[in-house]
Amino acid sequence: MPILNVQDLRMYYSTLKGDVKAVDGVDLEVEKGEALGLVGESGCGKTTFALAIMRLLPWNGRIVGGKVLFDGTDIIGIDDKKFDSDYRWKRLSYVFQGAMNALNPVFRVGDQIAEAITLHEDVEKEDAMERVRDLFKLVGIDPNRVSSYPHELSGGMKQRAMIAMALACNPDFIIADEPTTALDVIVQAQTLQVIDRLRKELGLTMMLITHDLSVVAQTCSTCAIMYAGKIVEYTDINTVFEEPLHPYTKALTSAFPSIKEERRELESIRGAPPNLLNPPSGCRFNPRCPYSMKICTEEEPEYKKRGGRHYVACHLLD
Amino acid sequence: MSEEMELKVVDLKKWFPVRMGVVSKLLSRKTKYVKAVDGVSFEVKKGEIFGLAGESGCGKTTTGKTVLRLLEPTSGEIYFQGENITRLSKSEMKHLRKKMQIVYQDPYESLNPRMTVYDIISEPISVHELADSPAEREEIIYNVLKDVELVPQEEFMLRFPHELSGGQRQRVAIARTLVMKPSFIVADEPISMLDVSIRAGILKTMLRVGEAGGISYIFVTHDLAYARHICDRGAIMYLGKIVEMAPMDILVKNPQHPYTIALMAAVPIPDPRLEKARAIISGEVPTPIDPPSGCRFHPRCSRCMETCRVEEPALCEVESGHYVACHAVG
Repeated sequence: MPILNVQDLRMYYSTLKGDVKAVDGVDLEVEKGEALGLVGESGCGKTTFALAIMRLLPWNGRIVGGKVLFDGTDIIGIDDKKFDSDYRWKRLSYVFQGAMNALNPVFRVGDQIAEAITLHEDVEKEDAMERVRDLFKLVGIDPNRVSSYPHELSGGMKQRAMIAMALACNPDFIIADEPTTALDVIVQAQTLQVIDRLRKELGLTMMLITHDLSVVAQTCSTCAIMYAGKIVEYTDINTVFEEPLHPYTKALTSAFPSIKEERRELESIRGAPPNLLNPPSGCRFNPRCPYSMKICTEEEPEYKKRGGRHYVACHLLD
Repeated sequence: MSEEMELKVVDLKKWFPVRMGVVSKLLSRKTKYVKAVDGVSFEVKKGEIFGLAGESGCGKTTTGKTVLRLLEPTSGEIYFQGENITRLSKSEMKHLRKKMQIVYQDPYESLNPRMTVYDIISEPISVHELADSPAEREEIIYNVLKDVELVPQEEFMLRFPHELSGGQRQRVAIARTLVMKPSFIVADEPISMLDVSIRAGILKTMLRVGEAGGISYIFVTHDLAYARHICDRGAIMYLGKIVEMAPMDILVKNPQHPYTIALMAAVPIPDPRLEKARAIISGEVPTPIDPPSGCRFHPRCSRCMETCRVEEPALCEVESGHYVACHAVG
């Protein structure tokens, strides 16, 4: 049984101009111990999707429909208190985007992480601090740094501290939202290595959210490609690069330059991602798709199984 | 030197003084400097795309701005088309400004939100008196919008920046420089704020107009994968110094400096079958206020020797066109 099973999840933001359909019918399964990469361009709804799972939506966001089954329980249906005491941080945790700004600048890093522990578990402050020291060792920071303030840490160290915070209550599922986006390449590689090692050592299930396919290629086992609030293709990581079926996936993989290949002309996708206030009718990729047919503008393609664990939503394959 | 040089930079330095508190001043402590650029020399040939790459804080953007004299150099010489421009006055520079331009990183901040696309592009036309009549001005704007693929032009001219997508804004920023028919453009991370699917389109436009107008570029970037595909030559910077400089092909296939090797190894590759366990150097870039003695990379270098701690390595040619600053190489 998959540890996370999302069924037809819909999440809208209300604005003065109407509803922004940030997540609009997402189905997704994550097996235990797997590392799933959720890839998409900015504004496609990937962060909203993750926040919906954590039930951390902003005031104007609401879940319109669908289910999120975590270990068999629908965590959208249960009440806030129960979710807080049994799930958030204890079983599911989150590495926030932009570690640079996610820590409170006026508190010591160790105290901030210890707070997460004392809030969720019945432990004394001293014991919590002891655990923070262990967590720092685990992610590769000098344990004496627990009494540092965020500005005294480098970008890479802050990111590691955020990872330590996510691990504070021994969760089994971690969502990492763009954990390396603001980091330089070498620090990015170091951070990804830490994440990969921890995942294997602690047997974590992970969902890595990123816009960078090459990061996913190096860390994940499966991959879901999101476009305009929907998942357009889901399969194992090798298939994404070698035999992608959806035109968007194909275009995205060829838009990614590799330092290993010979110099070539880079491919781009014409047009721009749609405005989710008023997404295109039919398949949402149709205005940018080179293979667009009549049916694509009229009817939404069904997200269907195409052998093994390969799901695609495209009329071309029918 | 047979080939024509667009830009030549000799031992360029740009130091920023660190602001001191009253107590330090009273005790007359020595002013400290952030040595953002600390002695770089390079050349950009006519029509060439020269990549300036490195991690944040290595001085690549400062170098780009200083060669345009948008920042005053602390020392060193800058030659533009053979002319020494290091000490030209503001009014003398104004004539050259037309020829040397910059495209900034963030198109969300570099365009005035209260001006329409028409106003934004016509401003340099007025400043440099490029049009004799309103009709000519309109024609210039019309043509340049076509060059950057913002069609239909009539529609885009009247829009404000907030009505444009990130990619379209960056196209406006490019159009704004192109009306002056520059021969040299510093492109400071022009695609890093944009979505992956449209990055290549912006680069293609820049390359196409560059080829048509014989424009030389300095492409400032932290993304080596993109640099690999668009630059002819590249230089890797570390803490204000160029550590390695070579044709791009050699730089990615046969890097010599331990830092370049580490940097290349850290670039993620969009291929899941490639070996994932790679040797990654530890630590992060130290502060440029008190950079390490000798070779600045020595505290993180696996091949560090005694000389590296005391003596700064010079940039030496190891093979034709390939320069490395390392005691352990050559």
